[in-house]
Amino acid sequence: MDIFSNLLIGLSVALTPVNLAFLFAGVMLGMVVGIIPGFGPAAGIAILLPITYGMNPTSAVIMLSAIYYGSMYGGTITSILLNTPGESSSVASTFDGYPLAQQGRAGPALVMQAVASFIGGTFGVILITLFTPLFSLVTRSFGPPEFFLLVMMGLMTLIAMIDGNWRYGVISALIGFALGTMGVDLETGQTRFTFGSAEMIGGIDFIPIAIGLFGLGELYYVFYQGMHLEGAGIVQYRKEKRFWPEWRDYVETRFTVVRASILGFFIGVIPGAGATIASLMSYSLEKSLSPTPEKFGKGAMAGLVGPEAANNAASSGAMVPLLSLGLPGSAATAVLLAAFLMWGLTPGPLLMTEKPEFAWGLIASMYLGNMALLALNIFAIPLFVLMIKLPYRILAPAVILICTIGTYSVNGSMLETWLMFAAGLVGFFMKLYGYSPAALVLALVLGPLAEQSLRQTLTISRGSFGIFLERPASIWIMGVTVVILVAGILLYRKRQ
Amino acid sequence: MRGEGTLRAGFLLAILFLAALYTYIAFTELSYLSSAGRLGPGFMPRIIGVALVAMCALSLHADAKHRGAEHSVAPGWRSAAVLALLSGVLVALLEVLGGLVSMMVFMGAALWILNRGRPLQNVLIAVLLPVGTHVVFAVWLKASMPRGMLPFLS
Amino acid sequence: MTSNGSNGNFFMRGSVALSALLVAGTLASAPAVAQDKYPSRKLDWTIAFGPGGGNDIMTRTIISIMEKYKLYPDKIVPENRAGGSGAKGWGYVFSQKGNPYHITSTSGSFITTPLQANTPWTATTFTPIALLASDDGVIMVNGKSKIRTFKEFVDQAKAKPPAIGGIGTVNVEFIVPKLLSERAGFKFDYVAFNKQGELTTALLSGALDAAMSNPGEVLGLLQSGDLRAIAYTGKKTPKALGNLPTLAELGYDLGISMPRGLVMPPDVPKEAQDWWIAAMKKVVETPEWKEYIEKQLLTENVLYGEDFRAFLQKTQGTFADILKKSGAIK
Repeated sequence: MDIFSNLLIGLSVALTPVNLAFLFAGVMLGMVVGIIPGFGPAAGIAILLPITYGMNPTSAVIMLSAIYYGSMYGGTITSILLNTPGESSSVASTFDGYPLAQQGRAGPALVMQAVASFIGGTFGVILITLFTPLFSLVTRSFGPPEFFLLVMMGLMTLIAMIDGNWRYGVISALIGFALGTMGVDLETGQTRFTFGSAEMIGGIDFIPIAIGLFGLGELYYVFYQGMHLEGAGIVQYRKEKRFWPEWRDYVETRFTVVRASILGFFIGVIPGAGATIASLMSYSLEKSLSPTPEKFGKGAMAGLVGPEAANNAASSGAMVPLLSLGLPGSAATAVLLAAFLMWGLTPGPLLMTEKPEFAWGLIASMYLGNMALLALNIFAIPLFVLMIKLPYRILAPAVILICTIGTYSVNGSMLETWLMFAAGLVGFFMKLYGYSPAALVLALVLGPLAEQSLRQTLTISRGSFGIFLERPASIWIMGVTVVILVAGILLYRKRQ
Repeated sequence: MRGEGTLRAGFLLAILFLAALYTYIAFTELSYLSSAGRLGPGFMPRIIGVALVAMCALSLHADAKHRGAEHSVAPGWRSAAVLALLSGVLVALLEVLGGLVSMMVFMGAALWILNRGRPLQNVLIAVLLPVGTHVVFAVWLKASMPRGMLPFLS
Repeated sequence: MTSNGSNGNFFMRGSVALSALLVAGTLASAPAVAQDKYPSRKLDWTIAFGPGGGNDIMTRTIISIMEKYKLYPDKIVPENRAGGSGAKGWGYVFSQKGNPYHITSTSGSFITTPLQANTPWTATTFTPIALLASDDGVIMVNGKSKIRTFKEFVDQAKAKPPAIGGIGTVNVEFIVPKLLSERAGFKFDYVAFNKQGELTTALLSGALDAAMSNPGEVLGLLQSGDLRAIAYTGKKTPKALGNLPTLAELGYDLGISMPRGLVMPPDVPKEAQDWWIAAMKKVVETPEWKEYIEKQLLTENVLYGEDFRAFLQKTQGTFADILKKSGAIK
């Protein structure tokens, strides 16, 4: 296992001018996607999928992945300046980021978030470099029983994703499951809920659903809330204020960054748990460890640095099950998986050995991408502030236009375009009444995987559940699940 | 305003209706076991359907009980409705007028309503953005773009 | 539908769009054909799948061969009309009844999609041109398995029913083991997978006893010894697989495979059909075509005209038969 030489191969792939150009385009787009509230990486990557048709697969995937982790940086800028998280994973960053900006420390807050994001992100990539090959080796002994258990682990974290009205959360997930059963039943080949239509044989593609829910639906909601009206959102950023953080900002948060990066990465690795959960957990962890917990929520630097390092480390961590198992942990990584598959790159234990230049090229590009993002976030802040000032009443129709054309061009299907529009309307009401669009999309992706792997398992075992106890790998997974569950419960208790 | 709570219940009722339809099909058309005696195509849909119907009913009940302070409709509802309507029109026009013209119509109408009083800015955006999008998708990337019904609307 | 931008003259695109509008499209082109010698116009080649897939690659290979050897006098325009497992593209070609300036390439779904959905056509309604190659598979076991030959596999299977994996159910990867088990007299459980990666991993992890798969997808693992091939299902084993015996050589001649060929809309003039058969006879002799077959690990399997229709008829019948028995279709 020669990680170092592999990484060098990866760097030689990532450093070609073409790949560098697409990497840079990707991080820029990621920032933009992150900044626009209600327009996340899931919809962003999905719309840009057709744009990558003409590229070679490695460049395409480097760019799309850069959009994914770049959006983690961008989402925070609006959290700090507008008290509006650009992404759900930046919600925790509003708790202390906005108060900091109100106190005239927007500059230091923005710089600190960039540094924290960079450390978290890079730390995550280092762990990917070390873990993914190891993971790929382990997952070679994974068959349907193990896959089923992992998907169940992912589904359990759905529960943690649901906040607010739990009944609505469960309904959202169940709708996702129901949509996931449409199309040909894999095991028997029988069609389900297709109403005799050939276009429905393939089932419901989740890309138009994701674009509708996260693109259109959220935009309608933002409009409904009146955010496009004149005077909404006060930008606290002013040039004359002290821009650079003080020395004590770094000193105070030095352990926070390390803790949050480690926590974030391992939360990210768990299928189904993602950046949002990681950032919220990091926030409560920092608050409980802080000598001055009363400062949290009133502009504590650790309350901003922790979630930021955690969500970036988690977004890296999520790449581990994605690359080594093909198991997505969030709507955004699910779209990324779809992109991989479109390019004939099937993630799984074999990806590392069969397509090393691709896998390592992607990993190496993530080091470079995080560096580019750090520079962008410090030196191009005025540019992004300008973007925040772009009136929403112009931005929103433009985004809707691109969502619509983007959906159509994926398959040239009117049915899918209508589906996207319908998902937009449904998404608006879901958001309005507190349902969970994220749970719906994740259930739509994981549901069919759960059903298939369970039925495959029971076919192989001729109907006996004992198979889960016969295979060492599945016993291990069950053990790890129990540990995570217990840890989760303990942490939850502590928070109470 | 009493509209909000009623709408909320209406949304839930719509889900309940579709869930009931789904469950009906799951029980009548799909078998619980496959011909080989393993879990069949109807296994999961039946569980999902029943659970969904039950959760909807439970929620309706709970919502009716806790019908506390009703929110009034937010200030932007008109703009949101216009935006939703226009995006529906955009989809409907795609294969009638073709991608480029539909985009221009949509952008022009949206800006005319939402960004009043700046005709020059609006016209410029309504022409340049669709042309730019068309160039990127159809010409540069050769991705699928909807064609219109008439020959010159490609 | 890809916009073909600047190419093609304005008038022509108008008439294509108009003919699509007139549903059947018979009115638009029939008179023009009678006068000229075939072929004398631009050809529309429907690819019923998206760019980059097997069907797309084959079509673009044939087109580039025809262009290189100047076999077609006018332009050939490939159009990806993807959707509904081929239903959209082939449905479009079906609607061009009698129009000799439309052609399309077939693949496995050409047989299976009409069995699963209410399409107004089946594989045999089209005018058959040629079967050019077939997609066949290898039957393989885990590299650590004690089974070394196909005979050992059958003996084992008779003693204990194996779990055999493949991609999908309405697919040759289910049909072949099914026919095989009936002929050889063993029982088995079929485990369907969605993606090749899942199937390969399941076999590697020891969860499956055997699997059937496209050889191109597992060639690396076969060569490294992680997986072991025990039989090839096509007529002739590709070079890359060495001296692996075919099922026919082992005494099980099933004659089932996924057709990669060309068809034209129903009721095109005999003249056009003959022209294309003659053209394809030239194409399959080119070194470029041989290289394509070898690279993609396809089986060379050439049938022309009505022989191709008979092949489709037989394959379709076998599929419908087995799938009805297993409950996949009604």
